[in-house]
Amino acid sequence: MEKALLYKEWKKTRLFTLGIAAVGIILLGYIMLKMGRSFRMVGMEHLWDVVVNRKQFLFRSLKYFPIAAALCLGMAQYFPEVIQKRIKLSLHLPLPERKVILLMYGYGLGILLGIYLLQLVGLLVFSTINFPYEFTSSTLKTIAPWYMAGIITYLFVAMVCLEPVWKRRAFNGLLGIAIVYLFFLSDVPSAYQPVLYILLVTLIAVFPFGFLSVQRFKEGTQD
Amino acid sequence: MQPIVQCKNLTHYYGKRCIYENLNFEIPKGRILGLLGKNGTGKTTTINILNGYLKPRSGECLMFGENSSNLSPETKQKVGLLIEGHVQYPFMNIHEIEKYYSAFYPQWKKEAYWELMKLLKIDPKQKLSQMSCGQKSQVALGLILAQDPELLILDDFSMGLDPGYRVLFVDYLSEYARAEGKTVFVTSHIIQDMERLIDDCMIMDYGSILFQKPVAELLQSFKRFRFSGNGQIFEDIKQVIHPVTIKGNTEFYSFEKKDELARILTYTGFNPTDIKEESLSLEEAFIGLTGKY
Repeated sequence: MEKALLYKEWKKTRLFTLGIAAVGIILLGYIMLKMGRSFRMVGMEHLWDVVVNRKQFLFRSLKYFPIAAALCLGMAQYFPEVIQKRIKLSLHLPLPERKVILLMYGYGLGILLGIYLLQLVGLLVFSTINFPYEFTSSTLKTIAPWYMAGIITYLFVAMVCLEPVWKRRAFNGLLGIAIVYLFFLSDVPSAYQPVLYILLVTLIAVFPFGFLSVQRFKEGTQD
Repeated sequence: MQPIVQCKNLTHYYGKRCIYENLNFEIPKGRILGLLGKNGTGKTTTINILNGYLKPRSGECLMFGENSSNLSPETKQKVGLLIEGHVQYPFMNIHEIEKYYSAFYPQWKKEAYWELMKLLKIDPKQKLSQMSCGQKSQVALGLILAQDPELLILDDFSMGLDPGYRVLFVDYLSEYARAEGKTVFVTSHIIQDMERLIDDCMIMDYGSILFQKPVAELLQSFKRFRFSGNGQIFEDIKQVIHPVTIKGNTEFYSFEKKDELARILTYTGFNPTDIKEESLSLEEAFIGLTGKY
């Protein structure tokens, strides 16, 4: 049963999933090519000066990819469930309702984390080959909030889509934007290092929000 | 024998608008019950409450003895649900959707599904999003038949269907339900279709149930009467239902027999000599009970 439900999610989102993965890989390739060109044109010393003295981050092109990917995947997965209230079909399946929603969440988060991981591994290999350990470590701490923001974006898209009342939907959407904005307050490398654990706690706290929307849908709450 | 569905003292409001108060009804095993009502009388509301998609203001519905707001997977397995508009997944084709649902139901009868699909002139790889409303209705019905549930709940099954598909749907469903002894709860705004399908009818008006009995009993006892003359004075007689006078000719409906009716009318000082009694179709009986407006 669980496999069948995941199959349905795959059928619904496969084009978006493959598209997002392709864009992620192309973006990574673009960054690598751009870096390679910089190595040749201005030299490593200059790049080092940019990173250490001017506190510039070399992989800034990645900044909005995680939230854009989460937005696309979340919409592709949950928007069709809202049209004609198709989520009723899933909730009518002979499985506990919480499990159905968890599986849908699990599918989306699994796909998203898979794409993020693919991109991160590529980035880390490239960084480890070309830069010292300290630089790679700082890169990870700099991009971590962006990827966490991506996961939070996905959770909020699910929550907003499944919410039955428009006013509450708008409120949840604004709340989501405000929370995601907190993850993009600074571009300075490792700026979020001291508060990374707070961001992680925020992410975990947002996780059950989607269940509230489903509960309200089940109770038939209306505008 | 315990009924398959029991609704007790159901009360529901949308905001301050009362849909119904203290609604009570039961669906016995093996019967086909049609819920008839004008738009906005609470047909879909009742189906939503039954399936746990709406929490009533008060009262409860039991399906197979379980409260409908919290049905177990085992009970859901016994209930086939057709959502208004034959809603299904448009991104799947008929093979994919059959494969998907078959995983959830151990008693899956794929022959029932494919027998119905053979009647459709569609490419097996055609997605549901590219099908007509009638074709989608057959896919939705085929999936329910293959699920082989004990109780079928069909919300406005005739919505958007042309006459051919409506007849096909009714014939298939009727034959299946009677042959297998299934319990069916159905709503439709096309009452002609219901007449060919249902055993019992439940007629809802704004806020209450007007009538719940076998269709045959309704059609046998409920008649239309016509005569020449003004029938305005009948409005206070409870046995006379919805009298209307147009250009000196009056028609009204009643559960009383013609002789008894003549006696009552004579008693009230009115003595029409040309009362004609007419038998009704279910649609006419529905209009007679609920009024034209």
